[in-house]
Amino acid sequence: MTSIAGIAYAFAEEARSVAELGAAGLLASDPAVLEGFGFAHAHVAVAESPYQLALVAARRLLEERRVAPESVDVLLYGGTPGPLAQQPADVPWDGGLLQTTARFKYPAARLQYELGLERATVLGLDQLACVTLFGAVRLGRALCLAEGVDRVLCVASEFFPADAGREAIFNCTSDAAVALLVERAGARNRIAGAAQVTKGYYWDCDALRDEIVASYFPTAVHVVERALAAAGWGPGDVDWVIPHNVSRTSWDILMGLLGLPRARLWAGNIARRGHALAGDNFINLRDALDGGDVRPGEKLLLFAYGYGAHWTALAVEA
Amino acid sequence: MLFLTGATGLVGGGVLARMLRADPALRVAVLVRDPSRWPAIDRVTPVAGDLCASGLGLTPDVRAALAREVHLVVHAAADVVFSRPLDVARATNVQGTRRVLDLVHEWPRVGQVVYVSTAFVAGRRTGSVAEAEEDGAAGWVNAYEQSKWEAERLVRAATRPWLIVRPSTIVCDDPDGGVVTQYNAVHHAVRLLHRGLVPMIATAPQASVDLVPADYVAGAIAALAVRHDLAGRTLHLCAGAGALAVPDLLENTWEVFARNPAWRRKALPRPVLTDLATYALLERSIDQTGDEMLQRAVRGLSHFAPQLALPKRFETAGADALLGAPAPPVGAYWARVVEHLLAVRWGGGMAA
Repeated sequence: MTSIAGIAYAFAEEARSVAELGAAGLLASDPAVLEGFGFAHAHVAVAESPYQLALVAARRLLEERRVAPESVDVLLYGGTPGPLAQQPADVPWDGGLLQTTARFKYPAARLQYELGLERATVLGLDQLACVTLFGAVRLGRALCLAEGVDRVLCVASEFFPADAGREAIFNCTSDAAVALLVERAGARNRIAGAAQVTKGYYWDCDALRDEIVASYFPTAVHVVERALAAAGWGPGDVDWVIPHNVSRTSWDILMGLLGLPRARLWAGNIARRGHALAGDNFINLRDALDGGDVRPGEKLLLFAYGYGAHWTALAVEA
Repeated sequence: MLFLTGATGLVGGGVLARMLRADPALRVAVLVRDPSRWPAIDRVTPVAGDLCASGLGLTPDVRAALAREVHLVVHAAADVVFSRPLDVARATNVQGTRRVLDLVHEWPRVGQVVYVSTAFVAGRRTGSVAEAEEDGAAGWVNAYEQSKWEAERLVRAATRPWLIVRPSTIVCDDPDGGVVTQYNAVHHAVRLLHRGLVPMIATAPQASVDLVPADYVAGAIAALAVRHDLAGRTLHLCAGAGALAVPDLLENTWEVFARNPAWRRKALPRPVLTDLATYALLERSIDQTGDEMLQRAVRGLSHFAPQLALPKRFETAGADALLGAPAPPVGAYWARVVEHLLAVRWGGGMAA
């Protein structure tokens, strides 16, 4: 069965407390509200670029898993777009770059070169916000199943736009990159089911923010039910819910809607890491595995929402 | 002479029209705040007054005239806003009822006082609710329910024969057209559903929505008020067995919404049906965010939505036997109500 054979990540080095972010004017909400939702720190890139963190995460993954670069068949890359991904965070994003041939300076191609992924076909993913890596996993899995590809390296690196502060609908965001390997015949973290729901009506996300908040829970329940059904599981089969690091309160509500006890939510990273847009479910999965909380064979549910229109879930057998 | 409060309301107005029609000799005094705005109706005399004023604010002359002539009182006026603070709800619903009863005590010819209460004096009770039920131990969902229950206690202690009628939530004028003249929290909830602003509904297995048309309630009160054999009775004017299960109500509502291709294309999700504990988490969460629109949406629902999670069935055998038929089942006309709301865009006056 197709599996997530390895995960590595890299956060921006600087971590700031929610109070510090509030004092710096980087939060839309009262810091106390965000602390009440379970956030304590967020990682804020200063001199790093999204590409730089992507390279660190991907290189770390290949080294840890002792994967020969030439054995990677496909590189799927998503995150901060084109040339902007290669600028340090303290350089303002320059939209003018996209009006020149500089827009073709893609980080995915550079990553293939710098990692020595000589055989890898390179594909880019875009427009999925926080569920980019889920999309990559799904595509990687599909390539394994449809084309017999053995190994897909999925990388997402996303920095929150500087002018947006550090908050996305009551969530405190972190800059990070995540890399993972999807393999056709892996023994661990087997992908048992996947589902994504896109509701295009919400494309104008800032204008429809209240409607999106209201839609979040029912659509989340729907997509989770679909992913679990694809795996042949019921909610009661789930040993751990591996979350994206959004408001702890919202997770308590979702766990209630799914009829799952809160103790099955692996929530330790919400306070410590904040919401990493690049794919914090997978960061959490790695930490939960490393810490021994998740044991082989346990059934895991990963759910995430991509701001705007995308809800997605994965059923994974550890 | 009939002394009628609440004649400017949907139910009171309906009672007035029916009773005038049924008895060509009947004369009626209606209590209104501003008689100059009362339309001239043969045999009807508007008298200036206010439930919240001492002696209902009646002048000595009017009071004396009523004392001489009134033989029947129908007290239908109430503050029906669910979100009122308790002291405000009590001012109209409890103290106002006390003032009506104090006057009735002075009026020697009054043979019966009909008090228009609400089925939801049952508050947080669950299960089958008997028409004679008086227990308030379970508590209430909102101040309206509590104040009406307290008013019922005053009526039961009155010195004159009394009849208490308990209508359910009125949702339309008549079941045939689905026309809505007076909007309430139910219509507000449908509007929020249509806008995709309701993430979840607290409910429980077996929970249903008990609604009635105004003309059923008005017709029932008009018919029952003139009977002389109902003293000391309490009667439910409710859908009872014809209440609609919450999932079915949601399904029917969605079916009407989805007839509009533009609405259907939005693919708005149906609210999740959940328990009260999870719903309370959502309320608290939205309260913490300080988001005004969502706070308004949730608060608008919170004053009655918990009833959907307190499954109860109002017994209606007494009223049904006296009236010869039960109230129309909700499922028979609910879709027309939703169609009407969409057609008139909630009358253009309801804030979402």
